[in-house]
Amino acid sequence: MAERVFITGIGMVTAIGDDVAGNLQNLRLQRSGLGYSSYIDTIYKNVLPVAEVKRSSESLFEMAGIPVREGFTRTTLLGLVAMREALLHAGITDVQSAPTGFINASTVGGMCDTEKLYFDIINPEKTGLFLQYIDTLDCADCTQRIADAVGFSEHIATISTACSSSANALMFGARMIKQGMLPRMVCGGTEALTRFTLNGFNSLKNVDKQFCRPFDQQRTGLNLGEGAAYLVLEGESFVKANNSRILAELTGYCNTNEAFHPTSPSPEGDGAYEAMKAALAMSGRTLEEVTYINVHGTATLNNDVSEGKALERLFGGKVPLFSSTKPFTGHTLAAAGAIEAIFSVLAIQNGLIFPNLNFSEKMEELNITPVTELIEGYPVNNVISNSFGFGGNNASLVISKYEG
Amino acid sequence: MKGKCYIQGMAAISPQPTFEGDIFSAPLVHTDSNLLACIEPDYKPFVPGNSLRRMTRVLKMGLTTALKCLQESGVATPGPIITGTGKGSLQDTERFIKEIEDYKETALNPTPFIQSTYNSVNGLIALQQKCTAYNNTFVHRGFSFENALLDSMMLIQEGEPHTLTGAFEEITAEHFYIKSRIGYWKSESTDSRELYKHLSPGTIAGEGAVFFTLAGTPTQQSYAAISGFKMLYKPVPGKLTATLKNFTTHADLIVTGRNGDSNFEHYYQELDNCFPDTPQLPFKHLCGEYDTAGAFGLWLSAHILKAQQVPQQWFSMFNQLPEHINSILFYNHFYGEQHVMILLERV
Amino acid sequence: MEELKKKLKEQIIEALNLQDTKPADIDDNAPLFGEGLGLDSIDSLELMVLLERQYHIKVEDPREGRKILQSVQSMAEFIQSKQPA
Repeated sequence: MAERVFITGIGMVTAIGDDVAGNLQNLRLQRSGLGYSSYIDTIYKNVLPVAEVKRSSESLFEMAGIPVREGFTRTTLLGLVAMREALLHAGITDVQSAPTGFINASTVGGMCDTEKLYFDIINPEKTGLFLQYIDTLDCADCTQRIADAVGFSEHIATISTACSSSANALMFGARMIKQGMLPRMVCGGTEALTRFTLNGFNSLKNVDKQFCRPFDQQRTGLNLGEGAAYLVLEGESFVKANNSRILAELTGYCNTNEAFHPTSPSPEGDGAYEAMKAALAMSGRTLEEVTYINVHGTATLNNDVSEGKALERLFGGKVPLFSSTKPFTGHTLAAAGAIEAIFSVLAIQNGLIFPNLNFSEKMEELNITPVTELIEGYPVNNVISNSFGFGGNNASLVISKYEG
Repeated sequence: MKGKCYIQGMAAISPQPTFEGDIFSAPLVHTDSNLLACIEPDYKPFVPGNSLRRMTRVLKMGLTTALKCLQESGVATPGPIITGTGKGSLQDTERFIKEIEDYKETALNPTPFIQSTYNSVNGLIALQQKCTAYNNTFVHRGFSFENALLDSMMLIQEGEPHTLTGAFEEITAEHFYIKSRIGYWKSESTDSRELYKHLSPGTIAGEGAVFFTLAGTPTQQSYAAISGFKMLYKPVPGKLTATLKNFTTHADLIVTGRNGDSNFEHYYQELDNCFPDTPQLPFKHLCGEYDTAGAFGLWLSAHILKAQQVPQQWFSMFNQLPEHINSILFYNHFYGEQHVMILLERV
Repeated sequence: MEELKKKLKEQIIEALNLQDTKPADIDDNAPLFGEGLGLDSIDSLELMVLLERQYHIKVEDPREGRKILQSVQSMAEFIQSKQPA
């Protein structure tokens, strides 16, 4: 019998908070992190809303507990801030105290900093300290700098499957525990806003000039966000031996590919349907036992139709309470899966259902609408968290209340 | 990693003529440009023209190698697809960065952005083969392909009958220059055939795409069994030797990633000291150095085990090989940070 | 108009890298998407980029884009309607 996998620590930084408590507070106050960028160098600064972490990189160095130096990108710093909180929260003062793996996720690595230096980097006439940023061009850089700062040496990996990256990181970590390879894994992702990604999504005509409106008839696209989140996963036997505090259980997960189109989901949501169905089957929970779904809900025209159809197909007339928290945090790409997994844990711990901000009009293609007001004192037992990405990559997680 | 898996089929596009024909009679391609570039096949028999027209080089190389691998393995629908790439499509990334600048962030073509996404090759394979199973992409320098291999072996342990597992990498002129600025390549022009005699800082660049079909049970067709696998991140002094000794006590042959880089040669010397009497074959004069060169080394090792011979024309400088090769120890590292050891056995 | 359509066909072939297609192969009124040339939604974004780069016309609404990009004829008519008489 494979080990059960428990969540024993969480840490995060997003546009709505520097830590988990800050995030929870703003979720409760229904205060969005969307606004306009102070740090990206773009002509869309005052045109396209983003959910930026309201901290300069200098301030992030301080929060991450390291001196300011070259080579540490915003991606790395955000990751390190979230990592430190996750470890502290799990009571881990030394990651070497037990064999611990680190599975990170990133979509564009240190692009946030390298895009500002790229033309100097390729110019033979320019030279200087900026050359130290060359290695930050790839996705492994942030992972290794975070690993080295806190001392991971057992197993490290970086996953990049677009918007489902950190959901896949959690899944990979959980599987390593179940196979008995390591007793403890720290999994999640980090993402900084970049001119590259903003222009990328804008070239796909997928970015809303207003604050994003998931599952709304008038929605026209997503808003990007930045942040980082990590969850400490521990196997059951380790939890017992270590006397760890259990926050929730990762009971199910599934990764499927839709094989439909390079960037668009299928209109009937085949991939989303399969991912949720299989993740739920693995969790051993019935459809009726699902309390809340933290949907991917990017507010693009295609995603919300596809995901909504999948919900209706899977749950029939009894679709559980659902909402997208992207109007709070923006779409944080590689970090989204882990951020929303933590929101799922918070929903369970605090008996909360978070509202889907900016919703006003039901979509014509669907019969369902998201939760629009904060619900408190609601017993939340099982949450499905969805993350779907480019390349048809779909991932669903089931996070459950720990009941012994 | 516990448990075995079997290499059932494989394909490679590399700087050598590896895509078609018999590698045991293929000539040795060499260069003194410090960059070994891939020999690209005709993609049209594999990918419809309407799909090919948008794809950049590494996408075509990755997709075509994957399709050839499936063809060679006799697998129609691949099941899980897991890949590793250090850099993804550099051409697309470079193009999008430049277009943002040139067009001042307006009127941008989305294709290079879409294709710069690291999992785009995986998506294309799934799309073309209508494969809706598990799909994952690892992007971690010298652990990119290796994590894909680990993921695949885990899937097989979990009961998947087979996986499509691979790696792809390209080097562009621009990226070659960028990495030259931080000492990745030798500053003097080096004949790739003489790579191991030129011990100096840096090595020569390369690229390639390699895919494997892995399975949980062997067949007549199997190339080799992977019976041991270990990754080691930034080992402290003494750790590599201890890990190697603990990993295996014997192998008939060692295939190594040695690359003439004096900065990190000491790791290969540790290997020499652990197995002083075992013959070694280095492979970087064939494929150059890149994040996922390990996949090429594994491909070569599997060929040697199945054929019970070495492509002599590629290794004319080496002799005294064992008569029977029942096991191969594969060891590679990427700029001293990511170290990998794999034990392969004859099936 | 005829000149515009001819030029447009050449530009479409170049922008979308339709290697085996010649301008004469594209019927003015044939649908560009689905059947016909077999283009997809990414091509439609690329064609909007073409309009912006070559003709300085920005199409904001993707729904509007779909109408304009039905055929070479509809594209040409749209371009002409946007150009000063």
